[in-house]
Amino acid sequence: MINKIFYRIINTIFVAYYWFVIVFLLFPILIVFPISFVNSKYLEFPPKNFSFRWYINYFNDTDFFVATFNSIYLGLGATIVATSIGTMAALGLSKTNFIGKKIIFGFLITPLIFPLIILALGLYIFLARFDAIENFYMLIIAHSALVMPFSLIIVSTSLQSFDVTLERSARVLGANPWQAFWKVTFPYIKPAVYSSAIFGFFVSFDELIIALFISGKIWTLPQRVWQDLRYEIDPTIAAVAAILISATFVGILLGTILQKQAMRFIEK
Amino acid sequence: MKKKYLLILPAIILTLIIIVFPVFELLKSSFFDPEFTLRHVEKFFSKYLYFKVLINTVKISFFSTLFCFILGYPTAYFIAHSGKKFQSFFLFLILLPFWISILIRTYAWMAVLGKEGVINTIFVALGIFSEPVRMLYTTGTVYLAMVQIMLPIMILTCYSTMIRLEEDYVKAARVLGANPFKAFYRIYFPLSFPGVASGSIIIFILSMGFFITPALVGGKKDMMVGNLINFQINQLLNWGFASFIGVILLITTLLIVILFIILTRYKMNNNFSS
Repeated sequence: MINKIFYRIINTIFVAYYWFVIVFLLFPILIVFPISFVNSKYLEFPPKNFSFRWYINYFNDTDFFVATFNSIYLGLGATIVATSIGTMAALGLSKTNFIGKKIIFGFLITPLIFPLIILALGLYIFLARFDAIENFYMLIIAHSALVMPFSLIIVSTSLQSFDVTLERSARVLGANPWQAFWKVTFPYIKPAVYSSAIFGFFVSFDELIIALFISGKIWTLPQRVWQDLRYEIDPTIAAVAAILISATFVGILLGTILQKQAMRFIEK
Repeated sequence: MKKKYLLILPAIILTLIIIVFPVFELLKSSFFDPEFTLRHVEKFFSKYLYFKVLINTVKISFFSTLFCFILGYPTAYFIAHSGKKFQSFFLFLILLPFWISILIRTYAWMAVLGKEGVINTIFVALGIFSEPVRMLYTTGTVYLAMVQIMLPIMILTCYSTMIRLEEDYVKAARVLGANPFKAFYRIYFPLSFPGVASGSIIIFILSMGFFITPALVGGKKDMMVGNLINFQINQLLNWGFASFIGVILLITTLLIVILFIILTRYKMNNNFSS
């Protein structure tokens, strides 16, 4: 009996703790939405009237418009490069057991935990030697390196449960390696590839530090936001933030569902 | 089957170009100008200010990691031990802020805590504050924002070790007479420690290189090494010295991480053998 009450209390404490953490994580993010709909330049409480003024401001601002499209192109470019290269590496590393495998895997995921400020600085000095600063393609390649580990990790995990004999049977039955890959292996890892592409897109789309150092006058959306946050903040940023948060929510929901699908065989 | 290794090649080349060459370049420009020089080394150690920024960075990173552990470990435990049905929903709520841009999350704190921010506006309107209180540009806000940004990482790494943990060992300890606290402390915690360790290492490394958040919500005295590097480049155009600070940051981070690994290994071994 005492035991039961004891566990009840412990359980309640854990539930409360979890929701406290969730409020801490989500409250500041959600507060951006009401702010983006105010009509005045400053916050007012209670809010007097509702308006789309700052959203209209965002859509009419050429600077923001250009920056948004730069970021979308950058995100798409980096995602395509990184997902292909990352998936290839995952395929190359799977089903093999050579000595250096762990080392290579570790090496390939270093961009995930390498301090970006150091990377950005080194990259600037490196690229400056080849006169490759303010080059959009260079920016895409740099972002690809940051995004690639996500594909590598997610696709590798999904490949762990892949039965190699399937691909081998396809080959025995006369398929060439290319056909065997697209007809047998790819359908299996497809959800993992797509979900890693979604996650990767957001990594690149949101990246500020490297873009700040090497993109010169080609401004990405995070750079444009950064500029505003440092000098003058007006609620247009709240509108941008609200749009980005909503887009991220939809993307991540989709990515998570796809990833669940990719893991369906592992759980069984 | 040799051809298979060719698939790894593009990834290796990409990582070489974007990580290895730049780091090499960084090392070069901090010691060569164009001949070998120790100018930047002398400069760094001649002024206490630079060293203070480094110490401050280590301090902020250490406490951010600690706070993430305190908040994250019980949360991960709760998620890992809740019903299968709710687990993915609980996890999704943690994942969502993780994927929202750091810049936007930092802005959100500015909107909440600023002079014209949500808390000040509401509290003044309700008469709790007589005038707006300065909360932005303080050390406390730097911690608040950094912990909020890093916390999901700790929860995810802890969670992933907890769901794979052999619950039987804990049961065995209980059957053999250990009380729940002892079973947790002697069995469960050591078994889940790899998650804590990898979360801590990742958060510590990322915090050491933090730059956006302290620049936006911190005061002058909350300057971190990342901001110092940016200042050297943007205001003083001193690339060589900025590179040397980068090298110092890298070495300090590496040494602390190695120390952490050695210390925790030692402690873990002791725990199991005694």
